[in-house]
Amino acid sequence: MQRKSSYDFYLILATTAVLFVISIICIYSMFYFKMAQVQQLPTVMKEAYLHRMNVIVAPFITALILLLGICVPKRLLPVSWLNRFALVLAALTLITSMIWGVKLGMLLVLSISLILQTGVLGMALGGSKNLYFERKNYWVRVGSSLMHLGLILFVFDLFFFDRQALHLLLFWVTTISTVLGMIFCFYAESMVSLIKRLQLSRP
Amino acid sequence: MPTFLDPTTFSLLGNYLLLTILVLGGLLGISGTVNLFRPAPVGEKISSRLLIVITSLLVVGFIWICWFHYQIHTQLSLELPQNLAVWLNRQLAAANSNASYAMPLYDLAHPPRYSIPVWIENEKYYFWFMCYAILGLSAHYRMRHHRFRGAVHLILAIQTTILYFFTNPFAAPLPKFMAEISPWFNENLSDMARAGLFMKLYPKMIFYYNAHYMWLHPPMLFLSYACITLTFITSLFMLVKRDLAIENLGYDFAKLGFFMLTLGMLLGYPWALQAWGPNWWWDPKICSSIMMWAVFSTYLHTRLYANKPAMWYFSSILGILCFAAMIFTFLATFFFPGEHTFQ
Repeated sequence: MQRKSSYDFYLILATTAVLFVISIICIYSMFYFKMAQVQQLPTVMKEAYLHRMNVIVAPFITALILLLGICVPKRLLPVSWLNRFALVLAALTLITSMIWGVKLGMLLVLSISLILQTGVLGMALGGSKNLYFERKNYWVRVGSSLMHLGLILFVFDLFFFDRQALHLLLFWVTTISTVLGMIFCFYAESMVSLIKRLQLSRP
Repeated sequence: MPTFLDPTTFSLLGNYLLLTILVLGGLLGISGTVNLFRPAPVGEKISSRLLIVITSLLVVGFIWICWFHYQIHTQLSLELPQNLAVWLNRQLAAANSNASYAMPLYDLAHPPRYSIPVWIENEKYYFWFMCYAILGLSAHYRMRHHRFRGAVHLILAIQTTILYFFTNPFAAPLPKFMAEISPWFNENLSDMARAGLFMKLYPKMIFYYNAHYMWLHPPMLFLSYACITLTFITSLFMLVKRDLAIENLGYDFAKLGFFMLTLGMLLGYPWALQAWGPNWWWDPKICSSIMMWAVFSTYLHTRLYANKPAMWYFSSILGILCFAAMIFTFLATFFFPGEHTFQ
């Protein structure tokens, strides 16, 4: 039977590969920007350039969002269920994208991820033993859940780019979630000792 | 500039300080090189003391820079005669009515003052290298490995050399800012010319020099650059030897660096919307920063599997790649045009 950690390992490798491709596109864009002197082009042409780059990067962002969608439930489900979940998610995304467009397909993946990740966070906060994590520390689990929730929210928030007030509100929620997540995850041992000290200092 | 503070004193004392740092840095560099290649430690105590002195002097120099900026804040304001102020406020109100982010109206009782952050122009290198020195000092005391210490010292020596010869913040203090502001002190300037100059200086003051994001976004990135440099050194050592203590030290700096990089980038986002509007996607600097973040993020994820031999080396190569991406991102500002450009 396939082990959970190896599933996790291959997911990380796949994410690495997608991030690598996105990095290459970023480098291409930088040199293109320089060669074509995009900053001096009229607004219409500049917007055409932005649109073209968005089209180039879109499949890889889609892949990244899909990977994110598959990655989130790994904390909740056994491997055999994960494979089925990944297949169902991919199929649902494909169908939604074909009928209502890629944007809505992505929104579906993100919404499912958001709901699941909120569930993972709730369970991590409750100290559930049913979650699958590489690390056992309570604060690492809570921190990792918060960080990933922040990442999902950040991508989700990009859909509300035109509605500035909502966009910025969600952005600050993202930032707080990510920052708290990093503090809990990276400094879990300090968190534990801080809480112990606080408990000891109580009369 | 008749009423402005005397930058010559600031420059003179700052230059002496930096020269001292250069000389001590040179000695530390020699000791670092010797230790890097010798099988046994050489002059451990002297190099430790040198590192403490250099770090302290860098902090003193930074306080000196802060004092200079405080002088600018207290002594330099954009004062206007009353009639001109009333006319300008009408112009500002008209400009604000169509803008997403309004500029405050001119207040005669409190004319606008510059609150310039202490990490612009050449001062950013100073801050970056000072952060490296402080973190390097903590790494020095955590790791009793003479070759590792030698590498940390050598990098600091290189940084002090760059600072003195190429990016000296004391040689000509804030040259771009001074060039921008100097016409303001021309007493023969007509009212209309002064109003025109005010409208040129004021938006930059509000959205750049006095922007509160400027106090958060750049220093976090420079602190993260300092952490990445130390992670780079540990990654190089990881390639040579499987030493868990060095890997742990590198991970500690990577965590702090990633935290600062992510928060710094996030805090730059609402500022970019405010200062540039929505059309700044695919700006070269943003692209390279996202690329660096992606590499760094990958490094932290692969590190979870560093117990596998192949992943140990992959992780250390990513640590080195992250440093290369950081240098590329930093140099991109000079080579690629765009919103962050220094061209």
